[in-house]
Amino acid sequence: MTPNTILQAENLSKHFGSGISEVRAVSDVTLDIERGELVLIMGPSGSGKTTLLSMLGALLTPTSGEIVIDGTGISSMKAAALAALRARKIGFVFQAFNLLEALTVEENILFPARLAAGGQQGAKGRVEELLEKLGLASRRDALPNTLSGGEKQRVAIARALINQPLIILADEPTGNLDSHKGQEVMMILHDIARDDGCAVLMVTHDPRVEEIADRVLWLEDGALRDRKSEQHSWVIDPVCGMRVDEWTALFTTEYREKKVVFCSSRCLHRFEEQPERYLGKVDQDPAA
Amino acid sequence: MIFWSLKTLFSEPMRLLVSALAVAVSFILVIFFSAVFEGESEQMVVYQKQMEADVWVMQKGVSNMHMSSSMLWDWKAERIAQIPGVEAVAAILYFNGAVRIGGRDWFSYVIGVSPEYSRAGPWAMAQGKTLPGPGEAVIPEVISKLTGVRIGDRITLIDRPLRVTGLTRETFSMASAVVFVSRDDLGDLLKASDQFSYIMVYAKPGIDGQMLAGRIKEEIDKVNALTSETFINSDQQLGIQMGAEIVRMMTMIGAILATLIVAFTAYSLITRKRQELAVAKALGFGNGQIYLAALCQSLLITVLGLLFALLISFTLLAWLPSVVPQINLSVRLYQFLAISVLCLPVAVLASLGAARTVVRVDPMAVFRS
Repeated sequence: MTPNTILQAENLSKHFGSGISEVRAVSDVTLDIERGELVLIMGPSGSGKTTLLSMLGALLTPTSGEIVIDGTGISSMKAAALAALRARKIGFVFQAFNLLEALTVEENILFPARLAAGGQQGAKGRVEELLEKLGLASRRDALPNTLSGGEKQRVAIARALINQPLIILADEPTGNLDSHKGQEVMMILHDIARDDGCAVLMVTHDPRVEEIADRVLWLEDGALRDRKSEQHSWVIDPVCGMRVDEWTALFTTEYREKKVVFCSSRCLHRFEEQPERYLGKVDQDPAA
Repeated sequence: MIFWSLKTLFSEPMRLLVSALAVAVSFILVIFFSAVFEGESEQMVVYQKQMEADVWVMQKGVSNMHMSSSMLWDWKAERIAQIPGVEAVAAILYFNGAVRIGGRDWFSYVIGVSPEYSRAGPWAMAQGKTLPGPGEAVIPEVISKLTGVRIGDRITLIDRPLRVTGLTRETFSMASAVVFVSRDDLGDLLKASDQFSYIMVYAKPGIDGQMLAGRIKEEIDKVNALTSETFINSDQQLGIQMGAEIVRMMTMIGAILATLIVAFTAYSLITRKRQELAVAKALGFGNGQIYLAALCQSLLITVLGLLFALLISFTLLAWLPSVVPQINLSVRLYQFLAISVLCLPVAVLASLGAARTVVRVDPMAVFRS
């Protein structure tokens, strides 16, 4: 732990159910997140990413382990204290945006501000700043149902930032956006970490995000392993042509003493039915 | 959260309007029944009020006109007239029962009036002769309109046919009507030609009614004398006792109906907004703050319902008597205050269902796309 550490998790575990039906969603995870860092949590579906994010966001109580946010252990905190902590120190960005339908853009951004020390009145200046910064000034009076996906996510980011949190927890923030809008949102989050000194912890499936991340944490079966973002081995799925990381791919086969990697079980099955059909595409260079 | 709750409510104006109108209907039921009851209670004592006597004298042990009978020897009216402080008297023979008009029995106060006490007769005529002579009757104009019985037509009192000679105003209520006949006819029918039922006493200026009533009781044997105010109150209390249970029950039914409507609206609104409540919880709002928002919604729906109810009630109360003349409606400020006070428990009770939902909202729902 360094003086810059904002979020620390130690031996964090979460189990659901008990006995024979017990599921270990997160198992013995230890991590440190520092100020200004953009950290990705990646992993296959059901690997426990959202459970981990929920615990780090003080929304879910761990079965064991300790979480320290800004020097304060939260495991023994009561619900009201956790709610106050979330309001002041954590900002959330969700895949489904989760804007409040009846409120305008400006009102949505100001919504959590009443939980902060200065209240909504004190946040007026900050909301102007965020509207400008996120390119929403002309949409301030618009209702969420009139916004594009990208605009909605920018509003959600502004809302997450209104109380000047120490950490932004983002769950698949680009999941409902096209690649262009997704890229834009990613860059905003990147800038927030770089310029505001806020730590951004993001759960994502999007491999393109790795390029702007400081660290990538790979979660599999509830356990974490640290990866450098540059440590990939990109190969091409010979069936669909999609770029796949050979190291983390779940669907592989041996064919003529060669390892062939697939993005999904569907592609693997197709390959197994007619391997000759795809022979020309095996060993294709992903950079080509 | 309160701002959110109000904006959410107003973002669906049709839903809000329908809910508020449904609540209004239940409040209107309460106001309407209360107004009918109040109107009937007032109409029940209209005769006593219109006579403007200072003291009413009746048979000992009797203190009402409604559902009562009283018999006094007719000479007592002359004796009372001679008591110091009495300026004038008027006496009536009275019968409380059904009069057959237009083929239907109408429960009535039948007042037997004699020419020497003409001030005991009708006070507001619509048509015809004021004082009925032998074989004649003066009936309420409303009954005439409802039955088609006109001046010159026949009605039946007990077994005696009488001819309608006049139509009166302000003498009809659903519970009773005031029918005037000659004292001779009524005395003959009741075998009480030498008796009166009530004697109205008019005091000289400066004479206190209470004191005069006491003096009459002292000087005249076997009578009860009450000030007009006491006598009228006594009859009104009797009416309230008879109808209070019904009105209380209607108020309760109306309140329960309003509570259920508000509860359903608040609950459905909260249930539909579960995801937004989960967001609020995730962002740091507590159960108490969110419940307060739900309570505000309930309160707003209830208050809007009440305002609609008042608006519609005032319009109906002004318009109904011209369309349905047999209804006597009266609304007093305390009735509106009572309904307004009822709003708060209705809103609080209605929000309890929503409160349960609020507590059960899982903030983890924010991660479901």
